Amino acid sequence: MRKLLAVTLGVLSAIGGFVDIGDLVAASQAGARFGMAHAWVLLVGVVGICAYAEMSGRIAAVSGRAVFDLVRERLGPRVALLNLVASWLVTVITLAAELGGVALALQLATGLSYLLWVPVAAAAVWLVLWRLRFELMERIFGLAGLALLVFAVALFALPTDWARLGHGALHVGSAGQGWSVYWFVAVALFASTVSPYEVFFFSSGGVEENWSTRDLAHARSNVLIGFPVGGFLALSLIAVAAVAYHPSGTSLDTLDQVARPVATALGGAGLAAVVLAFFAVTFGAALETGLSAAYAAAQYFGWQWGKRVSPREAARFHSVLLVSVLLGVLMLMTTVDPVRLTEYMLVLSAVVLPLTYLPILVVANDRGYLGDRVNGRWTNLLGALFLLLIVAASVAAIPLAIITRMGR
Amino acid sequence: MRLQLAKQLLDRQIVDADGRLVGRVDDIAFAVDADGHPYVDCLLTGQGALGQRIDGWIGRLLVAVADRFTDDPPVPPLRVPLAQVARLDSAVRLRCPASELPPSPVESWLRRHLVDRIPGSHRASG
Repeated sequence: MRKLLAVTLGVLSAIGGFVDIGDLVAASQAGARFGMAHAWVLLVGVVGICAYAEMSGRIAAVSGRAVFDLVRERLGPRVALLNLVASWLVTVITLAAELGGVALALQLATGLSYLLWVPVAAAAVWLVLWRLRFELMERIFGLAGLALLVFAVALFALPTDWARLGHGALHVGSAGQGWSVYWFVAVALFASTVSPYEVFFFSSGGVEENWSTRDLAHARSNVLIGFPVGGFLALSLIAVAAVAYHPSGTSLDTLDQVARPVATALGGAGLAAVVLAFFAVTFGAALETGLSAAYAAAQYFGWQWGKRVSPREAARFHSVLLVSVLLGVLMLMTTVDPVRLTEYMLVLSAVVLPLTYLPILVVANDRGYLGDRVNGRWTNLLGALFLLLIVAASVAAIPLAIITRMGR
Repeated sequence: MRLQLAKQLLDRQIVDADGRLVGRVDDIAFAVDADGHPYVDCLLTGQGALGQRIDGWIGRLLVAVADRFTDDPPVPPLRVPLAQVARLDSAVRLRCPASELPPSPVESWLRRHLVDRIPGSHRASG
């Protein structure tokens, strides 16, 4: 029974780690503009992130080392420093977008401008990181994030034409908006599904929780159940937006519009669930991105890191954490629209994806770290195919953003 | 002991006897014995040592940042005598606890000027 509970809780963390502001924005926009035509992107993304999260979990459990920890040994200090700077910047921009999401959820709940909520949200995120236990933190926000299921429920109350949804998912079309826009949205959705911070966080979390080879099965089941459930939640976001907005071809620019169909279908209770879900997934992701930014820096330089030691024993780690959160606040205080910031963040994430995923595949084949637990032939085949997609998305991201003027 | 320094030693994580993270092998100091044979004397760790190894403007920037966050720059690298190394696997494991080595100046500076001033900095949150 206790074991079952532990697995359930681990799965919750994985779900919480999967859905964030990127999914809320990218999935809803894809649904509103192209119906279900991007469902396959989610499927591919989930398969890929499962494969790579399993590898990084295995590396953490067997070698006791987190992913970024090994990047410098494999790439040398110069290339790894470039990797660090790029990953850290993108992670901090993601943190800013997540904080913006928290503030927008609070604006939905209270009616007060999100700009007032940004400092409050940032202070709360920092306080949780300073004080709350790691497992507790992951589980609370994972569980609350399940409120996102309300989108799947709403589909039954909305005038959903299931046959049309299914048809749309299987017959991919550009809905008269042009293929370059279709592919731009596909790249953004893909980047939101496989965000680099997810693997930093997953592997560093494994090290923090002292995983050993005995925890491998546990880690694997977390990934193989949690991420697909997260993918299902993202799919229901696409479907709701498709039902509510696709027929008229409205474009989605605010979180408000993402929530509205659920409020229409299920009333006040539905809206309350949506606000709770938005808050939980963005707050949870803000915690993860904040930690990931500090993990990356500490692991590159070899500093003491983590929540298991007191902050004064990991002073450099906690200083980077604090600076990252403050930078996130500064970015939002320029009054940049958090949804626009999320769109830019997804393009940049797509560009840096190979920097995270290539080293994982290389290390997962290194007997020096993994002994006989290196990748098997099928995992390598899957990993290599997925890496090709990642490189394609990375190369295409900026040209597509320019051609389509960020998908307008 | 036969060892490929660049592949198996350089850039590895250094871990003390209690599992605390000390730093990375940012550089290696050689010495020459009476017969004129060079041998590995110390492992060097610290942002300054790394900066000097990387060189160029990026290296100088790393050194400058480290010097900014200390009371009396320039920061010397922390020298770990080879005799303190217990074994070498995916990390360099030391015989002694980190408290027996000189502390990192940047870590101490940030602890004194920033982290210790925030309430609750003495308790691990786990």
